[in-house]
Amino acid sequence: MNTAMVRRMIWKDWYFQRRAILLALAGGVASLGIIGFGGKTGFYIGLILLITVMILIGATMVMGTLVGERENQTLAFVMSMPISYREYTVAKILGNLLTFVPFWLILVAASLGLILVAPTIHGLFAFTVIMAVEILVNICLMIAVALVTESKGWTISAMIAGNLAINVVGYLVAHIQGVSEGMFGTVITWRPAATVSVAIEFVLMGVLLGGAYFIQSRKRDFL
Amino acid sequence: MKDLSVHFEGVCKRYAHFSLEGIHLELPTGGIMGFIGANGAGKSTTIRILMGLVHQDAGTVSVLGHSMPEEQAAAKLDIGFVSEDMRLYGEATLAWHMEFLRPIYPRWDEAYATSLLQRFDLRAEQKIKGLSHGQRVKAALLLALARRPRLLVLDEPTTGLDPVARVEVLDELMAVLADEDRTILFSSHNTLDVEQISDQITFIDRGRIIDSDDKEVFLDRWRRLRLVLPPDGVIPRLPGVVEVGGSSRLPVLTTNRFEPAMVSACSDLGATVQSVDTMTLEEIFVANVHSRRERLTA
Repeated sequence: MNTAMVRRMIWKDWYFQRRAILLALAGGVASLGIIGFGGKTGFYIGLILLITVMILIGATMVMGTLVGERENQTLAFVMSMPISYREYTVAKILGNLLTFVPFWLILVAASLGLILVAPTIHGLFAFTVIMAVEILVNICLMIAVALVTESKGWTISAMIAGNLAINVVGYLVAHIQGVSEGMFGTVITWRPAATVSVAIEFVLMGVLLGGAYFIQSRKRDFL
Repeated sequence: MKDLSVHFEGVCKRYAHFSLEGIHLELPTGGIMGFIGANGAGKSTTIRILMGLVHQDAGTVSVLGHSMPEEQAAAKLDIGFVSEDMRLYGEATLAWHMEFLRPIYPRWDEAYATSLLQRFDLRAEQKIKGLSHGQRVKAALLLALARRPRLLVLDEPTTGLDPVARVEVLDELMAVLADEDRTILFSSHNTLDVEQISDQITFIDRGRIIDSDDKEVFLDRWRRLRLVLPPDGVIPRLPGVVEVGGSSRLPVLTTNRFEPAMVSACSDLGATVQSVDTMTLEEIFVANVHSRRERLTA
């Protein structure tokens, strides 16, 4: 694996997405402000905004770095460089995750921090963690679909499906016995059901990204 | 044994509506090969296989001693590639592109890149999206050449350029290449572009290599013989005749195996040779393609 080349590719993608990343960061900070200072209603509005911002930055990254490369015909330029399909795939997966995950970690940590300092919503801790990881699953789905199909249409479809799935998953998680108990209480609880839910989400991410890598490495025509 | 930079042996690639069959291609190190074919003949597919971007279904491909596509990353370190459908990042400047590529290529030549900027009349600080098509092609050429590649692959780089820009790009490319000693594969459907630059020519049609030789050999062995036949005269049977045109009294024979002795042979058979015309590469290409297609449909 030519790690220097992979790093160069990631740096390039960050460079071209830097404005979107900064804008999303600003949007995230604003959402946190609403969550922190907007009372109970503000909490919910801020949370929705926060999730929206995270999904938007994920979608922007995926569309810009994966679909855009083919649409703008810069893929031929990239692939003229000393890089293999596999290195390209690794660079794209890592580039997207390394952009999204730190941003996601900051915002999730801040959300959890707000929950921790507000005793009235302590019960939402487990639910928030599970839903935050679900957003990561959503991003992995988009990365996988964009990598494999290289199609704007399919990637947008994955994005829509992922966003709809968040509502469904949210509903289901809120009805899992080990999570729903005490969800609106004032005590932080973390039961095995929450651990299992998060583990399933991580397995799903592994399957999505591993599957995309596997399919990519078996592609016979890259351009 | 020849020192080959590019070697295709029995390469096949099949799609639903198109296939490359039995491609055999040899490009000696230091050679400049013009790769000519009509649109859809298979030039770009062949070049993508050469670059390792498309996997052949059968056959072997070796580029600069590397087996493709397995060793494409190592091979591409020594290849400069410019294709008609390649775009640079519109939002970035040419200077950014140079900065981006510099650490990737150990042989990147900054002084040469700067001299090419002046030669191509480009400004490094200008964003790519603000450049004309001709300037973009020159920018892509600069980025390919400054890598100091051992092999330069140009896939229809002049396609879509207006005549002035095309001549400009070609003139500058020729001036640059005159100073250099490197292996080049230049594909185009425009024979004039290729003729100026190449010392070897390969024709491809409908996924098959139909002829390949030194340019001078092509130009020497292809001729049009304009004959005048006596009444009831028959067209002399000459070697290598691929096309017979004109009328029954004034036939025009196109041969790919011309020898001066053919003129006296025609006279001996009662035909008067009105003229022996040399052919342009374009005429040779068209005659070659037509004769092959006729043979296939016969």
